[in-house]
Amino acid sequence: MAYFILKRLIQSVFVMLAVAFLAFSLFRFVGDPVSQMTGVETSEQDRERLRDELGLNDAFIVQFARFTGDMLKGDFGYSYRTRQPVAEMIATRIPATLELGTVALLISLIVGIPAGVYTALRPRGFVSQTILMTTLVGVSIPTFVIGIMLIFLFGVQLGWLPTFGRGGTVQIGGWTSSLFTSDGWRALILPALTLGVYQLTLTMRLVRAEMMEVMRSDYIRFATARGIPFRSLYFRHALANTMVPVITIIGLQFGGVIAFSIVTESVFQWPGMGLLFLESIRFVDIPVMGVYLVVIAFFFVLVNMAVDLLYVAIDPRLRVREDA
Amino acid sequence: MTFSLLLRSSALASVVVLGAQAASAETFRWASTTDPQTMDPHAVNAAPVLSFLNNIYEGLVRRNQNMQIEPSLATSWEPLEAENGWRFHLREGVTFQDGAEFNAEDVLFSYQRASDEAADVRSWFAPVSEVRVVDDYTVDFVTTAPNPLFPDSIANFMILDKGWAEANDAALPARDAENFATMNVNGTGAFSLSSRDPGVETRLVPNPTWWDEAQHNVTEAVFTPIGNSATGLAALLSGEIDFIQPIPLQDVAQVESRDGFKVLEGEETRVIMFGFGHEHEKLLYSTDVTDANPFQDPKVRLAAAHAIDIDAIDRVIMRGKIEAASQLVPAGISGYSEANADRPAYDPERAKELLAEAGYPDGFSFGLKCTNDRYINDEALCRAAASMFAAVDLKAELTTGPVRDYWTQLREDDFDMYLLGWSPGTFDAEHPIRFLLHSQDDEKKLGSWNFGNYSNARVDELLPLIQEEIDPAARQALIDELVGITQDEVAYIPLYTQPLIWAAKENIDLTQRADNFFMLRWVTIN
Amino acid sequence: MFARLVRSEPAYLFFRSPAAMLAAVVAILVIGGAICAPWLARTDPYDLSTFSLMDGLLPPVWQGGDPRFLLGTDDQGRDMVSAILYGARLSLMIGLMAMVIATVLGVGLGLAAGYFGGVFDAIVMRVADVQLALPAILTALLIDGVSRGLLPPEMQQDLRVAVLTLAIALSLWVNFARTARASVFVERNKDYVQAAMIMGQHPLRVMVRHILPNIMGPLLVIMTVDLASAILLEATLSFLGIGLPADSPSLGTLIRIGMQFLLSGEWWILWVPTLFLVALVVSINVLGDFLRDVFNPRLR
Repeated sequence: MAYFILKRLIQSVFVMLAVAFLAFSLFRFVGDPVSQMTGVETSEQDRERLRDELGLNDAFIVQFARFTGDMLKGDFGYSYRTRQPVAEMIATRIPATLELGTVALLISLIVGIPAGVYTALRPRGFVSQTILMTTLVGVSIPTFVIGIMLIFLFGVQLGWLPTFGRGGTVQIGGWTSSLFTSDGWRALILPALTLGVYQLTLTMRLVRAEMMEVMRSDYIRFATARGIPFRSLYFRHALANTMVPVITIIGLQFGGVIAFSIVTESVFQWPGMGLLFLESIRFVDIPVMGVYLVVIAFFFVLVNMAVDLLYVAIDPRLRVREDA
Repeated sequence: MTFSLLLRSSALASVVVLGAQAASAETFRWASTTDPQTMDPHAVNAAPVLSFLNNIYEGLVRRNQNMQIEPSLATSWEPLEAENGWRFHLREGVTFQDGAEFNAEDVLFSYQRASDEAADVRSWFAPVSEVRVVDDYTVDFVTTAPNPLFPDSIANFMILDKGWAEANDAALPARDAENFATMNVNGTGAFSLSSRDPGVETRLVPNPTWWDEAQHNVTEAVFTPIGNSATGLAALLSGEIDFIQPIPLQDVAQVESRDGFKVLEGEETRVIMFGFGHEHEKLLYSTDVTDANPFQDPKVRLAAAHAIDIDAIDRVIMRGKIEAASQLVPAGISGYSEANADRPAYDPERAKELLAEAGYPDGFSFGLKCTNDRYINDEALCRAAASMFAAVDLKAELTTGPVRDYWTQLREDDFDMYLLGWSPGTFDAEHPIRFLLHSQDDEKKLGSWNFGNYSNARVDELLPLIQEEIDPAARQALIDELVGITQDEVAYIPLYTQPLIWAAKENIDLTQRADNFFMLRWVTIN
Repeated sequence: MFARLVRSEPAYLFFRSPAAMLAAVVAILVIGGAICAPWLARTDPYDLSTFSLMDGLLPPVWQGGDPRFLLGTDDQGRDMVSAILYGARLSLMIGLMAMVIATVLGVGLGLAAGYFGGVFDAIVMRVADVQLALPAILTALLIDGVSRGLLPPEMQQDLRVAVLTLAIALSLWVNFARTARASVFVERNKDYVQAAMIMGQHPLRVMVRHILPNIMGPLLVIMTVDLASAILLEATLSFLGIGLPADSPSLGTLIRIGMQFLLSGEWWILWVPTLFLVALVVSINVLGDFLRDVFNPRLR
């Protein structure tokens, strides 16, 4: 097991390097940071000098080597736009994104798994059909339209919930949390719902599909014949057997949630990493974009590793293979 | 980090309370699309920064509600007698927010700081050869040539305290790493910073030691950047903010129809125009004319101008909120040429005739480059224009994109025709002449935004004459001549002046200034 | 498969399911409308001379609009009916192409990775990690940027659709790969696969004949959901400013443009394409569900 983790960690470093390299090679296409950093009246000589100072005139490979070299030394550089240390900028934004993503994922699991099981057990029922249809319509409307609609319904027309930002936040160590105030929760509901609806539908449909398959398998039929109670049958035997693909997808979902939060954060002005990233694209803030991507890559690597470890834990047959 | 800590530690007290009535009557909350990227007044020459910092810092002169300059940290100024330049008499008894006294040393220091290579605003001081401290409250700015507009050009030149900046290692604007002035302020202005969480929230409180009499009744002001315009509007309509700048044109009716809200409309000084690749030997994006550039012929450029139906654009895309433009500055700006106030009429027949005369009876195709996130409804404008061009057989291949790589493409001459908006930074007609009409000249730093390199020897000759002419009538005659030439040659197709649309709660009184700067010191909450 | 569908059980199931029938009707109407757009549409949204700004912002007929424009016009005077027909055409094309590319690429790599394991598996999965770590918006930016660097200016406009399709496909293939691989892990240890391998069957044959049919259930779920995602992703990329230009009206672009009129009173500019998109995506999903039930080997 330790060998497995070590191997994955070493691979992860390469993943992150590859992401950084890809990211870096695309920055040159995003735009010119210097025209975004300077005013209209700035002379071409001054722009060129700034370009030199930032090292933008160096060969691509030199810039990349400098970027990774500095990162390995723990120096994440300074934002072109605000001149602040990038590490600090991203660190202050991580809690907002993680809390949003986690709550969205929890919503999708808490609602999605029971809904999936229910719709699998009563596939033709009216309630099942209604649930399936509603969620289908939900995922068929672009996220940004849903977000704005929710804002106007609950924020403007009904006036129940805030329309932007995180509401009341509390500082716990270096972590800014909105989970400990009622205003924080109120601000969290709409964005989390917007972000979660897609994941919810995916989770539900996946659980339903797997569940329906498992219910038809011989051992469940056999168990039914032996008179094992339905409750135990559904949840101990059937549901447990649907978990491998479900965990795969949910693991992937968390990555997807973090990546997709870019849109949600932009609609709700949610001060997370995604919003910072969008602003950075607009201003061609290369250091921030670079570090953001490496951080995201790091999250993915962690999540994927956790998913693979869970496989091993859930399905003992895989353990043999991994040890071999 | 320290600031967000500071902010968060008082988080429970500063929880956003919903509903207008719940908040303290004088807490003023406002939003705009962009966060000021720094608190350093010399680091970036960008409107969001200068507009915001004008609430905290002050210059020698300032602009009043009608954009005229008036005394601020200088009480009066006059031209120097023996040489070119201006003498400023400074206000006595002014203190910075940390208590330090303001005097001539601070002006000299701020000049040195703002004209350093590390400062983006240094172009303001290109004409300045020397700054001399005469006594504690008198400063001379010596210029290389007569410069009647110099006081107007430094309205956004903000004064820092020398002692504070030097003590905090901020003697120069931050170039690589941040420095103290990026996140902290010490101005003489009406407000001071109480907390800052970049990109999230910035709080200001009135400066109790401000030298001028306060015209506002704000006890605390909270600024939040909201990038998405629909979200911003929702925040206003739900009562979470008191004021937002700007709102989309098409939402004006919606805001006006609701009780308790109002829309403030005005004309910005920004003129939207189409430019040509005057210097290009051939079209880049054409499928039929690949060996020549028809736009080098003034007749073709005039045909393009006649193809534009500005009234239809106004009615449908701009909701009747624009003023058609005849030249690169709007009426009302100093140096505006009344003599040349006519623009080419919408006349598709005439356009076709002109094209036939120029040898293109069947028209031709070309590339039109536009932004889609820079000016109000810029993409819709360009689509409409492309359709109008098509009606006279000018087949525009439209490319729209974000502004972040737009200027790069224009600088690399990657266009046949392009969209540009220009706001005269000095509020004088000389500004666009210097940047857009004079031939490109890197040495003299002229024509730096003249992407197509429109070039006319007489225009180049006239610019220095205009810059140095003291007599207003003689100066206007020179400008009239120049505008006449550029209109005859259709150097650009000026389209219209962009509108300025802000929205606020009914109980807020504020002033909308034509430069789109929002000044907290003119806010009254009723 | 098709012959079987017509002949027997699936057809019977189909006529017993009102949802599937309704979805089929909607899908046929939308897809048919999309295919026949050039003959059905009153104006061609690509031809600037067929519409005029003077007709801009007209409401639908029942709100007192012009009888020429059944569902009104947008801010450019473009007929909404024509716009959504052409829009559906473009969106379907992008969505289908992206889904096919993603499925072939993802399932192929996933099966191979799961079957062969070892170094090949590690490489594929790490590449997948890299892909996942780059949000779709960045993949689109990257491909867009590279194409702009490599292609001459006059070709860039024409290739925007291809670039976008590729970007969407690349951001979707990982789902297929991970699912295929995970299922192979489960299936490859089962007796029938082991037996086939022992009997010396070619690995490709084992995968295609034995493993693939067994993972069709989850794959079909992902395919249907991903066809919808592909269409929605295109809209989202447009919303973030890196989709198709406004004069190539996919449904996503139309919705992005319509967003500007959410509150202005011209509701039809947003809701006509949105409802059309929802109808299309929902019917695809319902049909996908139905097909999964029908073709699931364990059902029969």
